Amino acid sequence: MDMSKYRDLFFSEAREHLAQMSRLLVALEQAPADRQTIDALFREAHSVKGMAASMGYEGAAALAHHLEDALDHVRRGGEVPVALVDRLLAGFDLLEGLIDDLQADRPERDIARFLAGPAGSRSLPEAGPDRMEPPAPPLPGAEPAAVGEPSAAPAGGLPTVSVGRVYQVTVELAVDAAASAARCLLIVRELERAGEILSLSPSRETLRQGEECRRVQAWLRTELARSELGRTLRAIAEVRKVTFADDRRADGGRRSSEAGRSVRVRTELLDQVINLSGELLTYRFMLQRASRERDWSELNGSLADTARLIEELHHRSLQLRLMPLESITGRLPRLVRDLGQKSGKQVSFRVIGGGVVLDRVILDELADPLVHLVRNAIDHGIAGQGEVVVTARREKDLVLIEVSDNGRGMDPAELRRQAVARNLLSAEQAERLTDREALLLVCLPGFSTARQVTETSGRGVGMDVVKAAVEKLGGTLDIQSTVGEGSRFRLHMPLSMAIIKILLVRCNGLPLAIPLTRVQRTLELPAAAVLEGPPGRAFRLDDAEYALYSLGELLGGASDSGTAGGKDLCVVVIEAPGRPVGLQVDALLGQRDAFVKSLGFPLNRLPGLSGATIAGDGSVMFIVDPYHLLEGGGVPARYQESSHAVL
Amino acid sequence: MSLNVMIVDDALFMRNMLKDICQRAGYAVVAEADSGEAALELYRQHRPDLVTMDIVMPKRSGIEALQEIMAEDPAARVVMISALGQDALVIEAIEAGARDFIIKPFKEERVLDVMRRVTVPR
Repeated sequence: MDMSKYRDLFFSEAREHLAQMSRLLVALEQAPADRQTIDALFREAHSVKGMAASMGYEGAAALAHHLEDALDHVRRGGEVPVALVDRLLAGFDLLEGLIDDLQADRPERDIARFLAGPAGSRSLPEAGPDRMEPPAPPLPGAEPAAVGEPSAAPAGGLPTVSVGRVYQVTVELAVDAAASAARCLLIVRELERAGEILSLSPSRETLRQGEECRRVQAWLRTELARSELGRTLRAIAEVRKVTFADDRRADGGRRSSEAGRSVRVRTELLDQVINLSGELLTYRFMLQRASRERDWSELNGSLADTARLIEELHHRSLQLRLMPLESITGRLPRLVRDLGQKSGKQVSFRVIGGGVVLDRVILDELADPLVHLVRNAIDHGIAGQGEVVVTARREKDLVLIEVSDNGRGMDPAELRRQAVARNLLSAEQAERLTDREALLLVCLPGFSTARQVTETSGRGVGMDVVKAAVEKLGGTLDIQSTVGEGSRFRLHMPLSMAIIKILLVRCNGLPLAIPLTRVQRTLELPAAAVLEGPPGRAFRLDDAEYALYSLGELLGGASDSGTAGGKDLCVVVIEAPGRPVGLQVDALLGQRDAFVKSLGFPLNRLPGLSGATIAGDGSVMFIVDPYHLLEGGGVPARYQESSHAVL
Repeated sequence: MSLNVMIVDDALFMRNMLKDICQRAGYAVVAEADSGEAALELYRQHRPDLVTMDIVMPKRSGIEALQEIMAEDPAARVVMISALGQDALVIEAIEAGARDFIIKPFKEERVLDVMRRVTVPR
């Protein structure tokens, strides 16, 4: 057992509780007498307190305890005074900030002032300004002894101080220590004498097994001063070194980069994965035997079963990475409340489909863009009063996440005018944009239709950032809007980053992969159907005209786009910024699932390459993201002036 | 500081060796037992400050003797003497209340170091 393993889990779980608290606090404000909300909040605060205490995060635990106490007073009173809601919100913000500090391994923010309360009548005995070393705030788990006059200042509710401190201590043995597990047990016994062991690594059970062990780590609550504890431990024979967590923090917060990389997994799913891999082991032996005995029918049968198992295992493993959208929408109700209050607008907020799951990495990256979009909806969309809704649903291999409002809506004509006025487009270019393309103009850096710059959104409001984030994850952003009715910002995101369906094509003699999520359709186009420019080549399909590019040429290869020879052209119709386009390739080779590996420097700098995958024969195959290829500087000059404006 | 030590070991050679070490350090060896069986009775009689206890002995093992002594006097300071590779027994002894242990073959300083550490008043 190693506390650092629990660290990630702690943060991911703490954030879930915080999100829940945030939701509940907003609900509480609307219904201050709702007993269930108060109870639920109390439970959340209680959970955070317990978790933080177990991790030795005393400040966070004390603060959570404080909130819990305040809620307990409220529970007795029956209704929450408005002033207390504000205080709870402030305390919650502080707790969230504190958790941020802990996760980033930076000095914790001051909570003493908050704990002392607005009235400052009852302050914390040991929470002076200089509380960094050694930390001695009130301890978690301490029952609020004698909750004094509960009538006085309901916002009060201060935890009392319990004796002792919590240390993370590591004891190392001399390298030649004999019977090291026994020695470690002696150390554990000494720790037990010194105080209460909150956690221990390795566990007593492991030590009792007698495995070699030269290092014991423990979270210890003790009344002993650090120096005294150190002395006691060093008095044990063969102890080489005793360190406390803070000593080692000076080595640098290496772990912080690991933060946010953990995923909580249902044990049921884990069991399935373990069972499957177990079955695979069995089949391996069957395969080995069949191969030894040259039993071809047995070999074939086992191979087929193995293939089925691998597929199943793979499917389950992918699910390990999935988390529900609601894991990142928890903070939005609070955001809406605060923004509404600040701007004097009455905004209601809903999340539909919060249970839709996405890859954890995608969710992490989407959290900020979602905040941006909700913010924008309130700042620029809603006038006076309205509703913002976040909707999520599965659409084949994609998840649609939509942020919609019933506010002013955007006028494509106005957006065109603005873009021209800001010299972002020429008048002719603007004129040629479809309405859909015109709406996407808001994603250009520095573009804003807001007449006034609001405190929250500012100008341009990071729509370019939102768009970039979405596309980096392999998603697309689309905007629908009707003046007077509202706007919808639609994000189509892949479910998972690691495995995607790809279309295999050949191009300039090389096999290449295109993510299937980008592909609308493929077709073989008679050479005669190609409309030769100017401004470039195009073709008609279902009454619409599509620009036709050569993928090889976009990738910087030789211009082989000639249609001489009269042969049919292989064309892939793909999603491109603004509108779909056709990409000419040498041949269409089929589709398959591919495990995406990211590219290292300098290959990751090449525009349009989103990764690589290993082909069946072991060769490396690049994954082309035509969306970026068309958007970046990759478009040949002669296409730039085409009627198909590239945003 | 003078200590009263009791040595429990079935091998005379080991008892003598430990006795010499103790005496050179100025400790008094107040009792010697050649089996676990005899250990408890001698402990009762002498109430030594420290017991060295061989872990493997015929008839009654060092661990059994340790348990008996600990039951008699929970404050007893018993140091186990064990051969290499008997970690499981050492662990068992520690769980049963042994204060520390020494692995054979040992050096004089090592024995004295453990004896000192164990008898430091705390």
